[in-house]
Amino acid sequence: MSTYVVHVIIENKPNISDPEGDTILNDLVLKSKNYSIKKIRVGKILKFTIEATDKKKAEKTVENICQELRIFNPLVSNIVIETKTN
Amino acid sequence: MSLQKHETKHIQDVLKRKLTKTELQIIAAEWSEHCSYKSSKKHLKMLPTTGLNVISEKGYDSGVLDVGGGYVVTVHIESHNHPSAVEPFGGAATGVGGVIRDILSTGTRPIAILDGLRFGDIENDTHARWLFKNAVSGIADYGNCLGIPTIGGEVEFDDSYKGYALVDVAAIGFGKKNRLIKNHACKGDLVVLIGGSTGRDGIGGSQFASDSLEGEDRSAIQIPDPFIEKLIIETILEARNENCINAMKDLGGGGLSCAVSEIAESLGIGIELDVNNVHTRESGLLPDEIMISESQERMLIITSKQKLPKLRQICNKFRVTCSTIGHVKNDKMMHVKKAKKTLALLPAEFVARAPLLDRKKTKPKYLLQIKKENKVKKTLDYSKIILKLLSSPNIASKHWVFQQYDHEVGIRTVVKPGFDASVLRLDNGKFLSAKIDGNPKHCYLDPRQGAIGCFEEACRNVICTGANPIGMVDHLQFGNPEDPEIFWTFMESLEGLTEYAKFLRIPCVGGKVSFYNETPSGPIKPTPLIGVLGIKDKTPFLSVSPNNDDYLVVIGDTKDELGGSEYFEYIHRFIGGVCPRVNFTDSKINMLAVLSLIKNKLVKSVHDCSKGGLSIALSELSIFGNIGCTIDIEKIPCEENLSSEKILFSESHSRYLLVINKKNIEKVNHILSKKKIAFAVLGKYSGDQIIIKHKSKNLVKFRIDLAQKRYFNGLEDLLKHG
Repeated sequence: MSTYVVHVIIENKPNISDPEGDTILNDLVLKSKNYSIKKIRVGKILKFTIEATDKKKAEKTVENICQELRIFNPLVSNIVIETKTN
Repeated sequence: MSLQKHETKHIQDVLKRKLTKTELQIIAAEWSEHCSYKSSKKHLKMLPTTGLNVISEKGYDSGVLDVGGGYVVTVHIESHNHPSAVEPFGGAATGVGGVIRDILSTGTRPIAILDGLRFGDIENDTHARWLFKNAVSGIADYGNCLGIPTIGGEVEFDDSYKGYALVDVAAIGFGKKNRLIKNHACKGDLVVLIGGSTGRDGIGGSQFASDSLEGEDRSAIQIPDPFIEKLIIETILEARNENCINAMKDLGGGGLSCAVSEIAESLGIGIELDVNNVHTRESGLLPDEIMISESQERMLIITSKQKLPKLRQICNKFRVTCSTIGHVKNDKMMHVKKAKKTLALLPAEFVARAPLLDRKKTKPKYLLQIKKENKVKKTLDYSKIILKLLSSPNIASKHWVFQQYDHEVGIRTVVKPGFDASVLRLDNGKFLSAKIDGNPKHCYLDPRQGAIGCFEEACRNVICTGANPIGMVDHLQFGNPEDPEIFWTFMESLEGLTEYAKFLRIPCVGGKVSFYNETPSGPIKPTPLIGVLGIKDKTPFLSVSPNNDDYLVVIGDTKDELGGSEYFEYIHRFIGGVCPRVNFTDSKINMLAVLSLIKNKLVKSVHDCSKGGLSIALSELSIFGNIGCTIDIEKIPCEENLSSEKILFSESHSRYLLVINKKNIEKVNHILSKKKIAFAVLGKYSGDQIIIKHKSKNLVKFRIDLAQKRYFNGLEDLLKHG
């Protein structure tokens, strides 16, 4: 058994709007004249510290938990899973 | 997206040509059940819509009521069921947004929101719990961000909503009569789209809402942005003050297609627009997508050339994007172009008026199989049953829900949510009382009597605040109308509502019909939802908790009507029995009696008997008053030989519980006897227990603190630890 830290990034799907990201872009970033910034998307990150036999299993377990407990809505958001060995 | 055979034929017959791709998209959106009301429109005409207070103007999306002193109140109700069932947070939030813009489109400021929520069995179904929690958060988030109080509503759980959600939102607006938008337009006026940008979200939403929820349609997801909505509200109200708005319409189901064709049809004008001028969120949107996108937070305004600079200036001030997308013509055509190329050229009237249908109806077979009686042999412990009912999800306190809503922002809320109707202070010195009510359990057993009952219950709640009902809105939610049995239940409900509205002379000032509320496990129970507005002059009636030696009086007959009661359904898991029936004459005289007692300051508080029956209504009075009572149900006005079980739990209508000070009891006795009202003095308040006697035996006895614990923790415990 090893300990893994599995990051789950939840973000609205590309074709679904993101008012929070738009607001940060328009009302903070562009207002401060940072014109090189073209787009901001806001997401949410969950860090799971998990014990598992290997990285693949750790990721699968976390993904299943997110799906089953409806930690994100698969109709609206995508998730990206990244793992770091502790 | 699909057109039906007769619709394709109608197009061929009238236009005598094939539709272009864009035209087909426009027609499919506008002729969906959701936008065209093709199944119901013919029948909705039966509802009484006029009255002394009603102001009607072409193209209004909400009802307008004159409340005196140069002020008007506007009201509208909508649902967002399909979107909420797949994305409860966004679906419920955008539902609030849509109805708010309907209020705004008459030129009045939205001042309150009410919402009716219905889900599956949250005690056993985790998905229902997930839907419920997120829909409540969505409404709270949107309403709170806008600074509009959510002043009340109702929540109900029933197995027929398994895997589904009914999210109904009613909104109330207030404004000066002379500031109402008088929708008009003349040749050369400009068509302006203001607010959020148009994107791919919500494409095909209205058609999605006109289908059963079997596949999960991903493109119909709508993302709420309450901050843009707030800016739109302020922009529109300032533009209204500067006379920049000739006519206005919000973009909802069907997007631009619907808004443009309907405004053109109602004003008898033509509109030519260029899709290149619509401000979009992403590049590469196809013209068809622009025409039917249901992106939220957008309004269509018709303004004159002279006023356009001023309108632009106001939009800039609030940083709301605005684009001039077209202009008004005299030809009554809806003309959609992309630069010089014509994509659609159709008569507006043709688009806006889908061929209406005559749906077949037949009495459902299930009604013949319903058992009329539920025989319980052994004697039951009624104290235990009442306590169990008090903690059941349908009856327990809903403070978990309404505490998430800001119900006081705007400082108009005089009577807060949690009891009967909520009351708002208006600028003309009057008080507005509002409540929405539904009861699918009753409506399933008898769609006609059930619907009348919901209407009466909403009236009763308004009456309990001392207000006189002045208008109603209805929201009729049913399954697939192509099924004659379902269409029969719709027609029964509609006829019942019409009959009662005509009798009470309460005009129906707005409403909505939502069909195809079906899930893989079948149609929902018939769910008409009725909202009633009432007005009280001068002072609000603020109820006072009962004290030692105060009397408890009941008005109205208790009948053998346990059908669809919480007692049958929650305690005995029995669906059946006789649905409560409103006796019109009694209903009216009881209302007038309660109003006159309140007016003469003879009552401390009034509560209506509804869900759970007499036993629950009197428990609630004691729970809120923190005082016990001893009552005897033997003298209660009822049918002969009615069993104690029925007296305690029957949900008969037209009943009110009144708390009366000792010094007024003689007077009340006298007035009610003189008016020949069915009533009885049930007992007195004292101690810390509720004791209900029948034939000099204690039938029920329990402590108030226990009842309070059950009532206030029932729902919250379920959501926190369930």
